[in-house]
Amino acid sequence: MNFNAAHFYESFLYGIRYFPNTLRLVFIPLAIGLALGTVIALARVYQVPVINKLLGIFVTVYQGVPIVVALMIYNLIFMLKFNDLAKLLHIKKSAAEVDHIWVGIFALSLTAICSISEAIRGALLSIDKGQDEAGYSIGLTKVQTIKRIIIPQMIPAAIPTLINHVVGLIKASSVVMAIGIVEIVAGATIPSSRTYSFFEGYVAAAVIYWAFTIVIECLAKVLRRHTGKFRRNPYD
Amino acid sequence: MNKLFGWERFFENIPKILPYLSVTLWIVVYATVFGVILAAFIVLAELKKIPVLNPFLKVYVSFMRGTPMLVQLMIIYYGIPALIDPVFGTNLNRGWSAVTFAYITFILNQGAFLSAIFYGAVTSIPYGQTEAGLSVGLTEFQTFRRILLPQMVRIALPPFGSDLVGLFQNSSLVFLIGVTDIMGRAKSIGAATKHVLEAYVFVVMIYIVISLTVRLLFYYLNIKLEYGRERT
Repeated sequence: MNFNAAHFYESFLYGIRYFPNTLRLVFIPLAIGLALGTVIALARVYQVPVINKLLGIFVTVYQGVPIVVALMIYNLIFMLKFNDLAKLLHIKKSAAEVDHIWVGIFALSLTAICSISEAIRGALLSIDKGQDEAGYSIGLTKVQTIKRIIIPQMIPAAIPTLINHVVGLIKASSVVMAIGIVEIVAGATIPSSRTYSFFEGYVAAAVIYWAFTIVIECLAKVLRRHTGKFRRNPYD
Repeated sequence: MNKLFGWERFFENIPKILPYLSVTLWIVVYATVFGVILAAFIVLAELKKIPVLNPFLKVYVSFMRGTPMLVQLMIIYYGIPALIDPVFGTNLNRGWSAVTFAYITFILNQGAFLSAIFYGAVTSIPYGQTEAGLSVGLTEFQTFRRILLPQMVRIALPPFGSDLVGLFQNSSLVFLIGVTDIMGRAKSIGAATKHVLEAYVFVVMIYIVISLTVRLLFYYLNIKLEYGRERT
């Protein structure tokens, strides 16, 4: 068995065809993660009573769960319980009709919320407390201080870690093939079941992912330079 | 199927799953020990700027960091036999057990990730310290061991800890190439009894406990290694 370029090319085309699914699996969780993650991070940094502790425990514990195990559990519950839920809500759809990709998006979203909230929390904590005090002392409310002073400074501080999490999310999205969602990896190996050349299929998938993460990292570099403009740090 | 989750089934599963934890632990031990050695070689090659090898290693590290663990696992699982079988006329997929491929993948993966951590730690120490060490007559190795290494360990420790937590989680992927770890065992229990949720929940608990233990351990190690520095 040698490396067959024709099989590789075919697998590559199949992988690219399912690229939009991977994009959905990355960017929907990313958007949800950014929104809810910021809320969680703010709640924890500004120590909203009770919620602050609960969120802390949830984030710490949930980060210990491997994504593939979480995915299997959600998929199982989805398959067993969706029909009952649909009946309850009078939705005329069965579990078989709903696209499985939403289970994947759900699992990845929870992971994204946790990791992004930690990244943002770290960035928030790196901002000096005096900045809050300065905001209050000139008569801004707490919300105004957060919106106008803290968040604009937090963004450039959070971007390097956030990009790491985005790359992590891209890579994590590959495990959804374990519950039968067709994305890049599963797509690239579709021809392999006919040709038995799994190696070419997986190499094709790897090349697509590799290119994707390199593009994201290059974009990150541009973004970082752009958002960090006001810092005037000569070392950036 | 009557009840979705039954405690009696949950407790029945514990002795069936727990022995397979050793599979996970061995993967982590091999990956960490050989990964550290591999990473040390990679960092050495990068620092000495060895021609040919250096750009090759750059591509290797970038590949390992830019592609999913799952895909790497599959490439090693199908790729090593594809490369070696035609040359030696062997059949490695039958000859080696699947866990061997898992070891190789995790060692290669950890080598790349750890090399990035170590490289960052080494280069964060000002070069003046090396010069100072050499100027007082220490050899290059002595300078490294007595001056650079103690500082390096402290810098590299936190990222090393989170990498280890990630390694434990990634090891749950090996069931996809047919290695029976705790996850694979949970799946096979599910196939046999049609009740898999209890097994999965127990697996989740194991991972959570491991993750919390590792974090706590590194938290205390970190404090230990402050060397009397003031903590802020």
